[in-house]
Amino acid sequence: MKIPLPPGNKMSSSSKSQQLKGKMHLLSQADGSCSLSVGQTAFMAAVYGPREVKMNKEKVDKAVIEFMYRPKVGQSGCGERFWETLVGNTCETAILCSLHPRKSVGIIVQELQNSGSQLACCINAAFLALLDACVPVRYMVAATCCIITEGSTEPILSPTAVQEENAIAHMTFAFDSVDHNVVCSHTTGCFSEDQFQLCLEVCRKANKQVFDFYREALRERLSGSMIEC
Amino acid sequence: MGVNFQRLDGRGTYDYRKITITFGIDRGCCHVQIGDTRVMAQVSCEVTTPKQTRPNEGLLYVNAELSPMAAPHFEAGRPSQQGVELGRCLERCLKESRCIDTESLCIMSGMKVWAIRVDVHVLNHDGNLIDACSMAAITALTHFRRPDVTVSGEEVTILSVEDQDPIALGVHHMPICVSFAFFHQGKYLLVDPNEMEERVMDGKMVIGMNKHRELVTLQLTGSMLLHKDQVLRCTQIASTKVQEMTKLIEEALKNDVHERATGGQFGSASSQDPSHVTSHVTTEKTMEEVDTEALRELARETVLKGRETDRESPGMTRAPDITLLGKQTGRIGEGGLSSWDVEDIEESEEDDVEMIADTNVKVVRETSHISKCLGIDSSEDSEEDVTETLAAHHLGVHESSRGASGDTTIDLTTALNQQKRPAPGRERGKVKR
Amino acid sequence: MAGMELLSDEGFRIDGRRPNELRRIQCRMGVFAQADGSAYIEHGNTKVLAAVYGPHDIQGSKGRAAVHDIAFINCQYSMATFSTGERKQRPRGDRKSQEMTHHLKQTFDGAILTHLYPHSQIDIYVEVLQSDGGNYCASVNAATLALIDAGIPMKDYVCACSASFIDETPLMDINYTEESSATPQLIVSILPKSEHLVFVEMNSRLHEDQLSRVLDIAVKGCSDIYHILDRAVKEHLMEASIPLSSDT
Repeated sequence: MKIPLPPGNKMSSSSKSQQLKGKMHLLSQADGSCSLSVGQTAFMAAVYGPREVKMNKEKVDKAVIEFMYRPKVGQSGCGERFWETLVGNTCETAILCSLHPRKSVGIIVQELQNSGSQLACCINAAFLALLDACVPVRYMVAATCCIITEGSTEPILSPTAVQEENAIAHMTFAFDSVDHNVVCSHTTGCFSEDQFQLCLEVCRKANKQVFDFYREALRERLSGSMIEC
Repeated sequence: MGVNFQRLDGRGTYDYRKITITFGIDRGCCHVQIGDTRVMAQVSCEVTTPKQTRPNEGLLYVNAELSPMAAPHFEAGRPSQQGVELGRCLERCLKESRCIDTESLCIMSGMKVWAIRVDVHVLNHDGNLIDACSMAAITALTHFRRPDVTVSGEEVTILSVEDQDPIALGVHHMPICVSFAFFHQGKYLLVDPNEMEERVMDGKMVIGMNKHRELVTLQLTGSMLLHKDQVLRCTQIASTKVQEMTKLIEEALKNDVHERATGGQFGSASSQDPSHVTSHVTTEKTMEEVDTEALRELARETVLKGRETDRESPGMTRAPDITLLGKQTGRIGEGGLSSWDVEDIEESEEDDVEMIADTNVKVVRETSHISKCLGIDSSEDSEEDVTETLAAHHLGVHESSRGASGDTTIDLTTALNQQKRPAPGRERGKVKR
Repeated sequence: MAGMELLSDEGFRIDGRRPNELRRIQCRMGVFAQADGSAYIEHGNTKVLAAVYGPHDIQGSKGRAAVHDIAFINCQYSMATFSTGERKQRPRGDRKSQEMTHHLKQTFDGAILTHLYPHSQIDIYVEVLQSDGGNYCASVNAATLALIDAGIPMKDYVCACSASFIDETPLMDINYTEESSATPQLIVSILPKSEHLVFVEMNSRLHEDQLSRVLDIAVKGCSDIYHILDRAVKEHLMEASIPLSSDT
């Protein structure tokens, strides 16, 4: 898969996210799949479902969401399990689980390239794959990530790995598409209440563009498939 | 296969599907696609102690994973039979063939060596995983650059990428596997079986060779019987295929070197020209600027509004009062000194439901969520257990006494006396345990 | 390897054999009373024990793997902890053993007439007591004898032999020292009468042109082993039938 360098790649300007690129339905076996890159960070996601689930994991009134995160190098560890819970819960709030009782929806995300803004890219890739698989959802979810560096009052959106190393606080927020409320928030580092709110508002505003991207990607995908069949 | 002996996708007996090799930005990251089968390999390195039996040699770990995204029947966790087979085949192809010069990975004999790790992830399974994985692994190993080290006495310094150009691994030869599928007890054979052909084949043969026509691994599996000359014929077919694939890999590597030098998009090579428009269109979006100044105002307002609402409803967001009761004992909230006396019960939390062992009376603190639980499940009522819920006023607890001290003592003697006569507003129901 | 010549100038190997000589093979059938069939074989210093149970009802979780028209072959390969020079930590369940189990199963799937026992299970247990190279070959030969002892119908004997290629000479039946040096190893198992190959595995580097010679010597080794095994089976039958004939 080609991961082209965005023009002027090294430092993104403070209040501008990096370029988004995505491809949908590239895997033939999965029900839905996508590959998404934010700047130089790339993830591939696949969705299977709703499908049969083992008896011991079955829930009688709703679908079970199984989320798996695979790192590129090495075995999955504690950090990966934590992300699985975090992103899995985020997806679970969006998916209409009660429409598919005693079934499971399996979401698998594979890290292809890691250069900052991992969690946001992971959530977005998972969601695009869910859209591709036509799993019923109550709203779309998109995430944006920003950091606060020392000395600067402006938060930096979609940081690269180099920028993340110098950050004093790192925040990822996921919003829904209908009311733009916070669905998931994950922060590390030290920050004040004001900074938190500012980052939240900035991410909320930037996020709206990600929803536009989702709509465009879906449009491309559906227009292509009409010609195919 | 139909009566005219054509494959389902129209290929000939010895034809491969379209092979595409691309690289990632990281060194040692390689994607290979054979038809719809997609595989990704990533090479990484770290410094460890060598094996005791071979103190001068570095280590090579090959880890092949059948990701659950590749096929619906792949599960996470313990590798299945197919996973073990794939892993062993790759190990034999790469490790036992000594394709990497492990002696050059030694930093300090007996103490520190480089351990190279190849992680191969199968992303989509449409047949012929072994070929794709072997191609991806050896291409990634050739593409990888390890950092340079300087040794001064006992100290080893790993130089960063900016200081010194990283070094390539010593690759002696490039072994690639070719798979054959056999049908009807060895009467028909196919090269590069796709997933449907693999499901119905009788047996499989995997031949690993390099371009110098040296066999690296040969394995015949499955319940079928072959003749010696069939095996020899397959090796001849395999050697032609391996020559083609090696040429493709070398071309891809050359493109990548060229692109990295000129700063363009990183290298790739494809075995056939894309002759049809695919429906996999890439959507792109360049993000626009976000005006932070206006948002700063909005953020400030939200914070102030939040602080106001905090002041209005002290229950939820009031900062906890901490009282020091004595040495090493403090109290936050409703807790207090412990008491072993059964009659003197102090609640530790607002939502707690306490049970007294001897009696069947459950003392329930009246809070909003507990009251919703009442009367839900009367189907499990057992007639022996008479459970009553007592409202706070039955126990002589007054709302106004809640305050800074938060200390409530409930005197059960009044409660027990009241049980003898029906108390007003008694509700029958069982609180869910 | 420095200091150790695997093939001397006069054409002798480390253990004094010629390149086309097998190691000394000794075997016995019917070593266990409770197993339906059992055998013990020695290939030089490699000692392997095999036991066969069946055909019997499918037990346990294998029920899901049952196929309605053929028998299910269940193999287990394990090495005793004292079988190698250094104590072996895991007698079974590690990757190499799992792979070996899988290969044994596939070998016998092709040789046993499984369509005669639908919906049943045949267990083959192989234990390596002493390992000096050629584990797979000794296991296959021992399992063949055990299956014959159990009276399970097969297409033919299954004989296995290994071969290598050192100094432009193909060698037959390699031992541990020859295996662990960086020389190519070829393991072949055949049905001797038709010379059909049931299982072929090759490791390390070998040029394509030499493959034919090495395959030939391995197949010849298998035929020699077949004669030895056949003689052993006939002797065993003679011993077993003597008490019967003395009654008449």
